[in-house]
Amino acid sequence: MTAGEKITKYIGKPAKVLQSEPAKVIEWPRSLIHRHTYGKLSPFFTGLTEGRLLATRCVNPECGEDGLWLPPRADCPDCNQPMTWEELPQPIVGTVHTYARVEYAGTGIEMTTPYFQIDVELPGVCTIFKGYLQYGTPEIGMRVKACFRTEDSTNTILDIYWIPYEG
Amino acid sequence: MIVLKEGNRRIPKWNRKVFAVAGGVTEYKKFCPEMKLEEQVMVAFRQMLENNDLKLSPVEIKGLINFLACGSFSDHFQDQLLCEAKVTDYLGLDPMYDIGIKTGGATGGSTVLTAAMAIASGYADVALAVGWERMSEVDTRTGNYYIANAACKDFETRLSRIYAAYYAPMAVRFAWAYNLSEETRAKVAVKNHLYAYYSPYSQQPGKYTIQDVLNSPMSTYPLRFLECCAMTDGAACMLLCDEKTAYQLTDKPCELSIAGGSHTLRVADRRDMEIPLLPHETPDMYKGLRKKEGQRWPGFESFAAARFAAYFAYGMAGITDPLEELDLVELHDAFTISDIQTYGDIGLRPYGQEPDYIESGDAYLGGKCPANLSGGLIGTMHAVGATGIFQGVECLWQIQGKYDKFHGDPKIWKSFGKKKPEDWRSLQVSDAKHALWVSHACVGSHVTVGILKKAF
Repeated sequence: MTAGEKITKYIGKPAKVLQSEPAKVIEWPRSLIHRHTYGKLSPFFTGLTEGRLLATRCVNPECGEDGLWLPPRADCPDCNQPMTWEELPQPIVGTVHTYARVEYAGTGIEMTTPYFQIDVELPGVCTIFKGYLQYGTPEIGMRVKACFRTEDSTNTILDIYWIPYEG
Repeated sequence: MIVLKEGNRRIPKWNRKVFAVAGGVTEYKKFCPEMKLEEQVMVAFRQMLENNDLKLSPVEIKGLINFLACGSFSDHFQDQLLCEAKVTDYLGLDPMYDIGIKTGGATGGSTVLTAAMAIASGYADVALAVGWERMSEVDTRTGNYYIANAACKDFETRLSRIYAAYYAPMAVRFAWAYNLSEETRAKVAVKNHLYAYYSPYSQQPGKYTIQDVLNSPMSTYPLRFLECCAMTDGAACMLLCDEKTAYQLTDKPCELSIAGGSHTLRVADRRDMEIPLLPHETPDMYKGLRKKEGQRWPGFESFAAARFAAYFAYGMAGITDPLEELDLVELHDAFTISDIQTYGDIGLRPYGQEPDYIESGDAYLGGKCPANLSGGLIGTMHAVGATGIFQGVECLWQIQGKYDKFHGDPKIWKSFGKKKPEDWRSLQVSDAKHALWVSHACVGSHVTVGILKKAF
């Protein structure tokens, strides 16, 4: 086949012109799908869908950090050794370290606004764990209990949320 | 717990001195359709070459440059990989090597640091630090989502998709721990919008009252829109040299020290650690700091990355008492709270007493160490990759005594289609010898502290 035999056709969609003055601005739409791995943290995200909160702990006797890590990490940043999984006993009750009321959220937000984002201190955990309060008004020091989206799971961090705890 | 060892604490040392001689910026605005990215960079580059009283012609100076550090924060925004190559070509600096630098909001500072390392090592005698961002490529909410990818995508991004929501918890906690009022936060916004009023480059100038700030719409409680920087299109550049070339190019060079620190992307992962002390601090100062339940350092209140960058930079520059020795600072006021948090990190006040830097008047023109006379991020710009360069350039111009030249010339205002305000006033600090700027990423993941010292 010689180059002259086949006509190359335009099969795209013409770009929409958003403005012409003082310069020409076009729209460039796109829809893409990424594949994202949870890697060695997969047990954590699977655990949420089963109503379980899994953290990691460094079991190296020479390591100085004996607290649990939540968010979990597969490897200890202090001694660089692999950590082991531990499930937190239920009910999982923590205290609000700080909070924020999200009123204006970015594109793709998956919750109705406004809502409260909270950072939760948990006993025995060396880090603080970010989540959201399903209802109620948080204050620093308030006790909250973990709940899980075991039905209609999102397979994301939104599968855990918190509610006020009166116990 | 992070434990710093002797090697970690080693103060960085240049192999030879580094000098800043010239800078260039652009008008900063939310949407700049009239110019493409590289065309905006050209505006800053031309200002740097043509208007900084350099003693060689632009073409001669271009003939001296043999390295570029190029800063841009987000490939999402630029939507163009390897824009460094487009910029270097467009400025006519091919085939000089350009390294792309990316450290979030600290990109500009890291870009200057990279160019400075090229000079200090002898790789180059003259290096260009240049940065840009085109945030108008998407609408504001999508821009907020893009920026929220600079939070942890597995554990944080889905929880808000806007960066104000990662700073708001810090604002709540800081207020509780260190007795910070909403009015003090609002004063930072009032000050920086006002200083932006005197700058022809500024995006969000305004004469607001504390009440205006507190009445403005809420982004994420407790942060209002007037307490937050906006999305910006723009660029900035700075020319760095070795000592000999610096004095050949200008009568007003400034010696540069710059260093950085890093900390976890997720603020909630920041475990308690020993505070690295600055030269003027003693361990006794912080004995009562963690007095409240759950307190930790740096926790949600402070930035270890900023503290460590300051520790390094003060060591490099020989600063032993920052409030006494610094004549002005440019801080990363992406939000009012981030500005206030930094006062403790860089030692303008001891930790726990940060609000006093504003309340005492020290932070204002005429005060002990005025902050963000450029208008900062809240008032003037946050074209992310350019920001840490813009801040350094404003510091340079202050020490060179050129605030009026670059902010008060009616022709500059007119070139942007603006009119110089009738009540314009000079924000020139008299006889400034040391100026510091903080370039800051994320909720404190990367921070550089740069110090310019008058060398004429």
